[in-house]
Amino acid sequence: MRIPEQVKRLAIVIGVLVALTLVARFVLIPRSLTSTSLHWSLTTQRESAKPVKFAGSTACQDCHDDIAAKKAKSFHRVLACEGCHAPSVKHAEDPSAAKPVIPRDRTTCARCHAYDPSRPTGFPQINLTTHNPLKSCSTCHNPHDPVPPKVPKECAACHAQIERTKAVSSHALLTCTTCHKAPERHKTAPRTALPSKPDSREFCATCHGQGRAGTPKEAPKVDIATHGARNLCWECHYPHLPEGRP
Amino acid sequence: MSLTKGADGLAELLGQVTGFIYPNEIEVHWSILIVVYPYVTGLVAGAFILASLVKVFRIKEVQPTYRLSLLTALAFLLIAPLPLLLHLSQPQRFYEILLTPNPTSAMAMFGFVYAWYLMGVLLLEIWFEYRRDLIELAQTSRFPLNWVYRVLSLYSKDTSEASLAFDRKATQVITIIGIPSAFLLHGYVGFIFGSVKANPWWGSVLMPIVFLMSAIVSGIALVILIYMVRAGVRGEPIDMPCLDRITSYLFYAVIVDFSLEALDFVHRLYQSEESVKILGSLITHKLFMSLWVVQILLGMFIPLGILVLAKACGFGAELRKLLYFTAVILIQIGIFATRWNVVIGGQLFSKSFRGLTTYKMEVMGIEGLLAALVLLALPFVVLYVLLKLLPTEGPRGKALSGATSTARTV
Repeated sequence: MRIPEQVKRLAIVIGVLVALTLVARFVLIPRSLTSTSLHWSLTTQRESAKPVKFAGSTACQDCHDDIAAKKAKSFHRVLACEGCHAPSVKHAEDPSAAKPVIPRDRTTCARCHAYDPSRPTGFPQINLTTHNPLKSCSTCHNPHDPVPPKVPKECAACHAQIERTKAVSSHALLTCTTCHKAPERHKTAPRTALPSKPDSREFCATCHGQGRAGTPKEAPKVDIATHGARNLCWECHYPHLPEGRP
Repeated sequence: MSLTKGADGLAELLGQVTGFIYPNEIEVHWSILIVVYPYVTGLVAGAFILASLVKVFRIKEVQPTYRLSLLTALAFLLIAPLPLLLHLSQPQRFYEILLTPNPTSAMAMFGFVYAWYLMGVLLLEIWFEYRRDLIELAQTSRFPLNWVYRVLSLYSKDTSEASLAFDRKATQVITIIGIPSAFLLHGYVGFIFGSVKANPWWGSVLMPIVFLMSAIVSGIALVILIYMVRAGVRGEPIDMPCLDRITSYLFYAVIVDFSLEALDFVHRLYQSEESVKILGSLITHKLFMSLWVVQILLGMFIPLGILVLAKACGFGAELRKLLYFTAVILIQIGIFATRWNVVIGGQLFSKSFRGLTTYKMEVMGIEGLLAALVLLALPFVVLYVLLKLLPTEGPRGKALSGATSTARTV
């Protein structure tokens, strides 16, 4: 069968396109772009060839042992020195030649302590605009041993989000200590001295149990023996914003 | 709007948030350019499906729009990747997705779907359809156009009957391959959204089908619009049997499209998954205008009513033309709103299902309104050039060449 003239011409064009693609794929592209292991090893070589900028915390400790000892017991014990003071290998090699950065502005601390709803409740967070405007953070806080200048009196100082939620709920008039017993040490060591939480259905029944003596009359009542018997109360009801309204 | 603007920018955005959203949801990352992309791609698929009616289903009334549909599809297809390129931070690296393919990423496969549709289907079909015209134009045109036509025809000279018969056969085979390819191209765009299982507004198996049907609606409406405007500008009579036939197809396509979208809606409502409340407030607050008013009322019910009126009341040709013209413009606006509601709507609610954010469109920026308008106008410029270069009537004002003879023989 005779191949039509137009097909031959198209075949040439398509052939040229395919050839160009193959040349691009197998000649122009470096092998490191297509082979994963080669790509990784080249990346490692490239990265390890870069000059070292960080001295590392051990190098800092050799001279600044007093500050290191203080920081080791503080809330900032897991932070690296150069996280705030910038890479300082030159300073470690010749302390007189280069000085590390001492951040005195309000932006460095704000990287971790500016309010952000995604941070865990209880993590110290401030509103930069209203919290002592224009004052340097280190005026009141020692970054090597940060503690609040005043021990918080109320739970809301750290648990503001829960406090705001509770304030609009039907539990607004209950104090936090109605349900949680917080040891005094919780205020200075919040992670190690944890407050208590209710652990049984009986606890909620003291206000919400049907037929109990001394329950507040505006609290909704349920038969504690039958109402959702298999579950704990807070598996269905959020105690800081319970849905029941008097 | 970028969060790199710092605390002030963040504070400005926070004011527009209702309820609770995660911090990374405050910025709408897929802007109006990503709305333009499925809209333009849909027009390509729809215009091609209309063209296939002539070749595969042999509907001869639609013949006057055959070449126009093909060139419209090409003009819009050439512009379709531009919104994506402008959206990229490093557009100059786009070719890397072609050279180092990643078959497990649907987005990365777009380059191949696009390249196949452009080079494997559309350009081939147009070349076979126009080959005879190109040879004749190369002989009759003056310098330098004659050289352009010579190169475009790949220096082909054979206009024997056997060779023309081969062209006709080839166009038909390519169209048959082209229909599933057009479905693939736009079904793929729907798939990109439908496969996001973390987003209840997008994640639906119906999404590719709904996209496809709305693509057919918008493509047919666009070809009608261009056909009518072009005839008006050139002072040519409009082929009313052709227009009546295409608008009938448009009418059925709108009904199927509406049924599918209604099915999707009812399905979500009946399933009533945990996202139903936030989606409810999404469509009653943030998307009220663009969904209920523009997409459903202006873009679907009113054009349907107009088309029923035009078909049932036996109006004269002039009034019918006016009614069709109004309907296709409303349908275009409606389909653009459909794309807007999918792309922007899907980013306005939090994955926590507890809050909504707002999309504030830039005007001047690279992802702004002006850029989008330019991108929407560009295909018409390309189409103008294509129509100047490749006349739909064939050389020397003759009636359509190969295609007509095929249609007339059936």
